[in-house]
Amino acid sequence: MAVYKRGYQRYRGELTGRYTRLLALPRFVWPRLIEQRMILIVLIVSLFWPLACIGFIYVSNHSELWSGLGGDLGKFLQIDGKFFRYFMDTQAVMAVILAALAGPGLIAPDLAHNGLPLYFSRPLSRLDYVLARLFTLVALLAMVTLFPAFLLFAMQGGLAGMGWLTQNWRLPFGVFTGFTLHILLVSLVALACSAWVKWRTIAGALVVGFFFILAGVAEMLNNVLEVTWGILLNPAQSLYTVWSAMLGVDAGEGPGAWACVAGLAVLSALLGVVLEKKLRPVEVIS
Amino acid sequence: MPPVIELDQLRVRLGRREILKGLSCRLGVSGSGKAIGLLGPNGAGKSTLIQALLGFHKPSGGGARVLGFDCRTQPREVKARIGYMPENETLIANVTAVSFLRLMGELSGLPAEAALEKAHETLFHVGLGEARYRPLGTYSLGMKQMAKLAQAIIHGPELVILDEPTNGLDPAARRRMLTLIREMKQDHGMNIVLCSHLLRDVEEVCDEAVILKDGQIVHHADLEAERQSNKRFVELEVAGDDSGLAAALREMGVESIREGDGRWRMVLPPGVEIDALWRIIAALDLRVHKLTHRRDTLEEIFLKAVGHLPSGAAAAPEQPEEVAADGRL
Repeated sequence: MAVYKRGYQRYRGELTGRYTRLLALPRFVWPRLIEQRMILIVLIVSLFWPLACIGFIYVSNHSELWSGLGGDLGKFLQIDGKFFRYFMDTQAVMAVILAALAGPGLIAPDLAHNGLPLYFSRPLSRLDYVLARLFTLVALLAMVTLFPAFLLFAMQGGLAGMGWLTQNWRLPFGVFTGFTLHILLVSLVALACSAWVKWRTIAGALVVGFFFILAGVAEMLNNVLEVTWGILLNPAQSLYTVWSAMLGVDAGEGPGAWACVAGLAVLSALLGVVLEKKLRPVEVIS
Repeated sequence: MPPVIELDQLRVRLGRREILKGLSCRLGVSGSGKAIGLLGPNGAGKSTLIQALLGFHKPSGGGARVLGFDCRTQPREVKARIGYMPENETLIANVTAVSFLRLMGELSGLPAEAALEKAHETLFHVGLGEARYRPLGTYSLGMKQMAKLAQAIIHGPELVILDEPTNGLDPAARRRMLTLIREMKQDHGMNIVLCSHLLRDVEEVCDEAVILKDGQIVHHADLEAERQSNKRFVELEVAGDDSGLAAALREMGVESIREGDGRWRMVLPPGVEIDALWRIIAALDLRVHKLTHRRDTLEEIFLKAVGHLPSGAAAAPEQPEEVAADGRL
C-alpha cells in the first residue's frame, strides 16, 4: 500500500542495540562529507604520495631496473623505518587538512542549530555522541593513513617475501600504532574546535592553527628558556618523536618517546574536557 | 500500571539557584492515552522539569520516574520510550525532512529500513508529505513545528513531551496541531505531556493539568472531572408560573435553589441529563430566557493557583452557552 494511503501507525517492532544506533550517525554523515568537493579533492590528492611510495617499493624490489646505474642507489632505495617515516609525515599533513575540512561540519551545525536536545532526548548519551562523531572522522582519516599504509606493507610483503615482514615486524606495528595515535589526536582536535566555535570556517582554520600555534609556542619556549622539553607542547613534534622511536629511527634532540606520549595524553584529556563542557543539551547560565 | 510521571521531592539546582523545590506528584497512568498539561508563569520551572525528566539536568535531591523507570539510574530506558518536541528551533537546516527523520528514527532504535518507511509515513501524517524532500531550512515556521512533532513521534513513543507546540502557528495550523495531538492520545494510545502558555490549548487537549509556580506545584487539576462537574451545575432563567418547578426537580433528584424572578440554580445528579430539564420546562409551559452551564475555566483555575485571583472569585463574567434551535446546548 502506498505510504500516503496507509496513515500513521506506532512502530511496535524490535529495536536495535546501542552500537547499531551509534553507527547511524557516521552512516548519515559520510555521504554528505564525500559530496563536498574540497574533501573529495583532498582525498584524491592524498593518494598521490602513497602511489609514489608504491612505485618506490616496486623499483626497490626490482634491482634489475637500476643495478646497471651503479653508485649508491641500492642504499637509497632501501625500504626501512626512514622510508615509512617520510610516508607518515606526508600523510599526516594530509590527514590534518582533511580533518580541518571535515571535522567542523560534524558538531558545529548541531550546536549552531541547537540540535543537541534532539539527539540527547533519545537513548544516546554524550559519550555515545562523541564516539560516533570520532568514529566518523577516524574512518575518514584512516582512508589516507591506515589503508595506504596497509597497501604499502602488502606490496612490500608480497615483493620482498614474508621474511622481510618477520624481520621488520617493528615497522608495521610502528606505522599502524603511530597513525592510530595521530588520527585519534587530530580527530579530537577537530571535534573540540568544532564544539568550541560554532562557525565551520573558523573552526576549520582553528584546527590547522592549533598545530601551528602550539608549534610556535613550543619553539619560543625552547629558545627563550634554552631547553628542549618545549616540544612537549608541540603535538606534531611529539608525534614525530613517538613515531621515530617506534620505527627505530633517530628523532633528534628533546624529551624521550614516553614523555611525549604523556604530553599527548594530557593534551587529549584537555580536548576531552572541552568536549565535555561544550556538548550539553541545554546551556545553563548560572 | 505505573503512573506516567512520578515525582518524589524532586529538586533541581542550576548553578546557585534552586529551580525545582521538592516537587511530588503522580501524573497519568501509563498506556492510558491521556494528556497532562504543564502550566505556569514564566520562570516557574516547566522547562526545567521537562529537561530533568529527559535527564538533561541531574536532580540535586529526590527523584523522578517516567513510565516506571528512574530518570537518574535508567536514562536509556526512559529515553527509549519518550518523544520530545522542544520549544526552540532545533532542526538542521541543510538536510531534507525525510533524511533528518530517518536519522532520528535510527537513533531511537528503529532498524534502517523501518526508519525510512516511518519517516515517510510520519511526514504524510503531519501534513508534510509533499515537502518531505525539501531541506528543513526552507520550511516555514508552521512546517518546522510539524517537522519537530514528526521527529518526536517517528518511533511511536509511549510518552510524547511537547514544549509549546502551537508557538507561532496561525489559527488553522494551531487547530491542525491540536487535532494531531488529540489523535495521538485517542487513536494511538500515546500519553502526552503538553507544556504551554496557551491555557486554551491545554483546556482543549488535556485530561489533567499541573500548575507550577516558583518551582513548586501549586495546583493539580483533573480537567475531565472539572468538566463533568461544570456540566452538572446549571443556571436557568424562565418566564411564566414556575411554582411547580421545584417539586418536579426534586422528583428527579435535582437539588435546586430559587433566586426569584424566574432565576434558578441547580445541580444535576449523575444520570440526569439536560434533556430531562427541557422536558419538565415544556411540561410546565415555561419560556426559557437563559440556560447555562457553569464554566469554571482553566484560566480561573490558573489565576487562582498562581495567586492573581482570590479563591472563590470569578475571573470574568460567565458566558452562556448557546442554545440551539432544537433546544439542545
